Amino acid sequence: MTISRWVLAALLTIPGYAQAQDRFDHWEHRGLFPRCASCHAGIQDQAEPVWLAPGACADCHDGSIAETVRWQPPAALPATNLRFTHRDHAEAVRRTTGADSLLDCRSCHAGPGADRMQVRLAVAQNCLDCHGVRARHLEAPDTSCATCHLPLARAVRLARADVADFPEPESHKAPGFELKGHGRLARGSGTSPVSAACATCHARDFCSECHVNAPEVPAIQALALDPRSLAHKAELKAPPSHADPSFLQRHGRAARQSPMTCATCHAQESCLACHAGKPATALAMPAAGPGRGKGAVIRRERPPSHGSDFSELHGPVANARPETCNGCHVRPQCLDCHRPTAADAAPGYHPAGFLSRHPAAAYSRETSCSDCHNRGQFCADCHVNAGLSASRTLDAGYHDAKRSFLFGHGQAARQNLESCVACHAERDCLTCHSALGGRRFNPHGPGFDPATLRRKNSQACTACHGGLIPAAPNP
Amino acid sequence: MRRVVRGALVGALGAAGLTTTANAQGYQLRFETRAQTAAYRGVRPDSVPAADIVTAPNGGLQTADGFFVRCPPGNPFCFFFRPGAYRQGGPLVSSVDLTMWGLGVPGLSLRVNGRAGVDLGESDVWPGTDPALQLLEAYGEHASRRATLRGGRQLLASRLGIVGLDGGRGILRVGAGFEAEAYLGLGLARAAALPVSSAVLDPLDDFQPRRRQWVAGGSIGWSGRRGDVRVDYQREVERVSSQFGSERAAISGELRPLDRWSLAAGVEYDLANTWFGNADATLRYVSPRVTAAVGARQYRPHFDLWTIWGAFSPVPYHAVNASVWVRPLERLELRGRWERYAFSPTETETPLVDVDSDGWRFGAGASFNPDEIWTFDVGYREEYGPGASSHGFEGSVSAAPSPRLTLTAYGSTLDRPLEFRFEEAGVDVVGFDAEWRPTERVRLGLGGAHYAEDRRRPDASGFDWNQTRLNARVTLLFGSGADQTRLPRAIRHRPRAGS
Repeated sequence: MTISRWVLAALLTIPGYAQAQDRFDHWEHRGLFPRCASCHAGIQDQAEPVWLAPGACADCHDGSIAETVRWQPPAALPATNLRFTHRDHAEAVRRTTGADSLLDCRSCHAGPGADRMQVRLAVAQNCLDCHGVRARHLEAPDTSCATCHLPLARAVRLARADVADFPEPESHKAPGFELKGHGRLARGSGTSPVSAACATCHARDFCSECHVNAPEVPAIQALALDPRSLAHKAELKAPPSHADPSFLQRHGRAARQSPMTCATCHAQESCLACHAGKPATALAMPAAGPGRGKGAVIRRERPPSHGSDFSELHGPVANARPETCNGCHVRPQCLDCHRPTAADAAPGYHPAGFLSRHPAAAYSRETSCSDCHNRGQFCADCHVNAGLSASRTLDAGYHDAKRSFLFGHGQAARQNLESCVACHAERDCLTCHSALGGRRFNPHGPGFDPATLRRKNSQACTACHGGLIPAAPNP
Repeated sequence: MRRVVRGALVGALGAAGLTTTANAQGYQLRFETRAQTAAYRGVRPDSVPAADIVTAPNGGLQTADGFFVRCPPGNPFCFFFRPGAYRQGGPLVSSVDLTMWGLGVPGLSLRVNGRAGVDLGESDVWPGTDPALQLLEAYGEHASRRATLRGGRQLLASRLGIVGLDGGRGILRVGAGFEAEAYLGLGLARAAALPVSSAVLDPLDDFQPRRRQWVAGGSIGWSGRRGDVRVDYQREVERVSSQFGSERAAISGELRPLDRWSLAAGVEYDLANTWFGNADATLRYVSPRVTAAVGARQYRPHFDLWTIWGAFSPVPYHAVNASVWVRPLERLELRGRWERYAFSPTETETPLVDVDSDGWRFGAGASFNPDEIWTFDVGYREEYGPGASSHGFEGSVSAAPSPRLTLTAYGSTLDRPLEFRFEEAGVDVVGFDAEWRPTERVRLGLGGAHYAEDRRRPDASGFDWNQTRLNARVTLLFGSGADQTRLPRAIRHRPRAGS
């Protein structure tokens, strides 16, 4: 009798049962049924039904003794992931505590000191108390879940919606649980690589949603496949270390040292979103595919180190460490800008309308034009066709905003010689500046090192001096 | 007719990308064809008998029809410039960029990068389209963890500039962040895919080497968590005479002592002229809300030693600059930049001509992208310096209704007075640009802009240069496509001066 009551109580812990119980007011009938088994004989004896036949209510609820009611027992056993059956549990109790166990229905289905017929949903806390778990149900150690619950993959009658309704254990709310905590808890003890607690609510499909390295993690592989586990949604979250401004700079070293740590959340595709050069470390990462998470979706963005000004200032940095650039950029991307294409009219390196503005930029050399443009092929060729070359005479007076510019052009020339030579040929200048003829004006100025220049290229000297190159510095 | 045929061939090269497949275990292949129409207008030298000259309202001399003239003493003629004729240019360039690997030897790859260009316009004068076929790069490379060997035509990029060579290059990575590089080969002209002896590079009929030069050099570098440093050396030597074309060295580095702070600096030294070339140092602070930089730099042009220009002692200018980018809101960016520079003393005496020796530039702008679709950008820039100045506004509106489509409308104003010539050009531009990527492997672009340009002068030689430019581009990508990923959208174009 005692056991039958306990079994009934256990039965009613099942959500489906509890629903059915709600439709029957036990307290109202407390005087009519002295024993739980009067109605729930099947709890005690498998040959009997768990519930009364529907017509049994009509013994009283016939319209004269009491108003008629329409009650139907549940059509099927409820979906549950509880591992016990009342009979097995009763047998277990009998083995461990003996036949005189005080356990009855009330032990699970009524609160402390409550009447037998003050039936409630099964009180899981009562189960925990009996089993010596000193914690509330959802705060119980993960190792104790399997005491009562089946692994999800074996709880075959649970629908996906049932799985979605699983309450979240307190442990899952702890700081750091998603990033590191769950990994520690998931490690199994003994022969199983995975904690039985995880398997209660989760299956491999769920882990593989995030874990790119799922095939390499024994704990995940120890879980069965079960698509119902996807009823729980998990989102990859970047660990705090990734928010460090210097993380982008440092992540390469970390990835080389411990690629499998990165592979927890990152597939090869994560790396290649930025690392267009396909570095070996990236290629060593697992590629997204069946059985693996697709990994964190990396959006290629300008890294913090670049700032907004970087397109202008990247030159010196690129010179100092080109290999770093290669991490994210491949040569064709550089050539998008660093190749003067005659037909490139869309705003590219230069803004629209730069042709009109270029004299100002060229005079002061905001950047070095000749890094990308050959002076002869690009500048002089265009100027010749525009009628701007001094191919006929220096007397034409193009520089008419400065009276006598020809006689006072020295300062302008030394300041903007690159601009001069875009229109003027060497012979123009040698008209006056040659030592062989003309006016023999000395063009050498500050910084001129004749000895070294002569040693490096004496032919350049002969352009003005012929075979009589002065041995000593020019006066 | 010949031009049309050439254009058809060039276009066909691009179109070939639609049907061509490459056979290699791995490859990336990029075909690109770009074309534009653009009017072209300059000046035309002219002369009149000195006897026909009249006095201009400002007291100077001019032709009877109002052109300012220069009359050299003793010369029976006076000279002036007339507005040049409109000339229509139509450059069409197709390029192919192919990289293949997986050729049976781990680490072995091949690369070819070439282009074909032609001017379909009436004047056939567009720069860069001659010769029609140009091979930029074609090399084989074997790369392993410790070393990279490369042979063939290749471009070298370093602090000393970009130079091409036909030869070999080796890189050795010795560990602990150290790397050494050496190269040797027959050089190409600077910033060109042609040898220095090519007539195309000498439109002014300057002195020019008759043979290609040897290019040799190397570098050593070290990279660490807190800094990088690299030393480069390069020389160009004429093959027969052993005369130097250049000999330079450079050191560059970046120091990152603290998170968010960096100091990048470098300097070039010209061993032939025994002077320092370009040098710069920039201290930057970068945070999500603020980016700021202060710097100093020297700019001095580099001339090859087979020209006489180095002997004319070009002087450097020295500049200090500062820039700041602020994002007070997540989607709003404000930016400003300022630079002031001054040339070193030229040690010239020019009592008849007063020339500026210093200048500055300033710019400010803002970008606002209220959502993922729209981007608004406005800016103002102004620069004043020797030779020319300019100032103007510019703005653009970009919309990206889908990740595959970007539409941009832009406009700008510009006033650009020259110092040495009476000419205050003003140009207003309105235009649009559209880029569509129907698939990851196809990019189509179309653009157009109207330029209203007025070259103002106080005499009759002022002229307008109004025109409408159209451009179109097609890019086709094949293979595994490391270059399919574009640069971040933020880099739509190079930021304007200071803005």
